[in-house]
Amino acid sequence: MKRKVAWGKVYLGLVFVILYAPILYLMIFSFSSGKTMERYHGFSFQHYADLFADSRMITIVINTVLVAVLASLIATIVGTLGALAIKESRGAWRNSLLSLNNVLMVSPDVIIGASFLIFFTVLGIRLGFISVLLSHIAFSIPIVVLMVLPKINELSPTLVDAAYDLGATRWQALSRVILPAISPGIIAGYFMALTYSLDDFAVTFFVTGNGFSTLSVEIYSRARQGVNLEINALSTLMFLVSLALVIGYYFVSKHAGRRQRVVAVKEGDAQ
Amino acid sequence: MGKNILEFKHVGKRYDENVVLRDINFGVEAGKFYTLLGPSGSGKTTILRIIAGFDQASSGEVLFDGQRINDVPANQRQVNTVFQDYALFPHMNVAENVAFGLQIKGVKKTVIQQRVKEALHLVRLDGYGERAITAMSGGQRQRVAIARAIVNRPKVLLLDEALSALDHKLRVDMQRELRQLQRQLGITFIFVTHDQEEALAMSDQIMIINDGRIQQTGTPVDIYDEPLNHFVADFIGESNIVPGVMKKDYVVNINGQDFECVDAGMKPNEKVEVVIRPEDLDITTVDKGELKATVDTQLFRGVDYQITAHDQREHEWKINSIHKTTVGAQVGIVFDPEDIHVMRYNESEEDFDARLDSYEEDED
Ligand SMILES: Nc1ncnc2c1ncn2[C@@H]1O[C@H](COP(=O)(O)OP(=O)(O)OP(=O)(O)O)[C@@H](O)[C@H]1O
Ligand SMILES: [Mg+2]
Repeated sequence: MKRKVAWGKVYLGLVFVILYAPILYLMIFSFSSGKTMERYHGFSFQHYADLFADSRMITIVINTVLVAVLASLIATIVGTLGALAIKESRGAWRNSLLSLNNVLMVSPDVIIGASFLIFFTVLGIRLGFISVLLSHIAFSIPIVVLMVLPKINELSPTLVDAAYDLGATRWQALSRVILPAISPGIIAGYFMALTYSLDDFAVTFFVTGNGFSTLSVEIYSRARQGVNLEINALSTLMFLVSLALVIGYYFVSKHAGRRQRVVAVKEGDAQ
Repeated sequence: MGKNILEFKHVGKRYDENVVLRDINFGVEAGKFYTLLGPSGSGKTTILRIIAGFDQASSGEVLFDGQRINDVPANQRQVNTVFQDYALFPHMNVAENVAFGLQIKGVKKTVIQQRVKEALHLVRLDGYGERAITAMSGGQRQRVAIARAIVNRPKVLLLDEALSALDHKLRVDMQRELRQLQRQLGITFIFVTHDQEEALAMSDQIMIINDGRIQQTGTPVDIYDEPLNHFVADFIGESNIVPGVMKKDYVVNINGQDFECVDAGMKPNEKVEVVIRPEDLDITTVDKGELKATVDTQLFRGVDYQITAHDQREHEWKINSIHKTTVGAQVGIVFDPEDIHVMRYNESEEDFDARLDSYEEDED
């Protein structure tokens, strides 16, 4: 029995080593003073200095974050409303809505990217910020729906009845009962959409124009021209940011309920 | 007849093919305590949902204060509900849940605080205001649900099995508490339960529902003493129900033996059912007994013994007696004419009431 547990841990450790080794390797060389990853040359912040001096790169980082934040925000709003609509709908109509949503989730990014390219070209929309934003919103919506719908299904159907019973209008029932009650799902959906948008390559690759680029596309094109340790520095920073996001998400989702309560206590404090 | 605050006229409800309510008619007088009593699935919750406005009647009319309200949305009805599954808002604490209705109405904050405090006191939850709903037990949640509804002082309060999750002592306390509250505030209560003791103890009027129909309406005493049919007699309290023949007015034949009774107004030799409550049967010696029987079982229940015995025709009798007997003993069973209640097959409630009126007048 003990042996089994030990092997399990070894296996788990091995998996994590294999998963994280490349990232660690990359991070270590971001602090090397050399120009290549063949040999470690001693500690330096040289590549970080290069990175912050690279204004093109900084612009792209800002663009990427801007697109991700905006796209996931809009996708969260649309997706949440969509999930509510799916819940309201009945029978065959509901099933087809759900299937349409799921098809988008499983269809390959390349296909989605290519179809967006054709779509934008036909409509005559210039490729650039807008086209990237629109496509990111589009592929994020199904993710949000998928995160929010289970939360809605969890709600007791009489909860909304109770809100009406106490005199709430449709809007009050939505804003004061349903949305707060499903907020963990909404927050989860937002963060999922954010990560999908931040690291999307395939779809973005199709719809970025000449003047506009995002990180993943830029790193790809630079990596093709040969290794540049500035990329390592950037990747290290991105890794740390995503780590912070994950931790942040963990805390937000854990304390979501409590925080809302603190906000609302002031209105109905009975003590 | 007082003024009816609420009235159902030929209300029916069906879900697709499934008929849940068939032709429900009743009137509810303001300020009284009504109980809907019926087995699971009989349509009690459905009636409440139609009153509250969450569901629409498929046919018929619902009147509130004389006005047709079939098309008035739930949030504009002067009715509040204690839901069977509580339906508390999970993201709010106890006090916020209770305050919700008042906040929606835009009541002043200081007033809200005061009324929430009173409501929580009423349901014995003083000091629980800050608790999360998830940190409350089932019985506590149920009381929060009662407080949340009652704090709004509606004209009609609907309670769907509002005491089912409480232990016996708290339940009896809350029954008294609710009854007192109802008298004090003059709110009309419509209380759903499938606990007949609770119904008998609390109500001004009981409506017995079965199979989507109101079987009988009346005061607890009426329903207990004069059940309309087999279902009501069986559902309310314990009873011995035996087939019989009505020889003539005030004489009924059970198992070939004539007994004097207090019922009349039936056809001669009409087949009927006879109800005798177990507590109305007394055990005596064989020679004094109107029926002779052998004791089969005896169960001590604290206040009395529950005894079963069979007579010569192998008919089983339930007897509740404060005196002990012995299993296997030959005993006599006695009862008075007033203890016999005769029921006709398929008699409607109107006919039943008319018949009772006719011969009760004769007696006076
Ligand atoms: N939304 C619905 N769709 C279809 N059938 C329904 C629906 N709601 C209730 N019913 C049916 O209506 C009947 C009556 O239900 P109702 O909830 O009124 O029973 P009840 O008397 O409250 O029972 P209980 O004591 O178990 O709560 C049941 O047979 C139930 O299956
Ligand atoms: Mg019910």
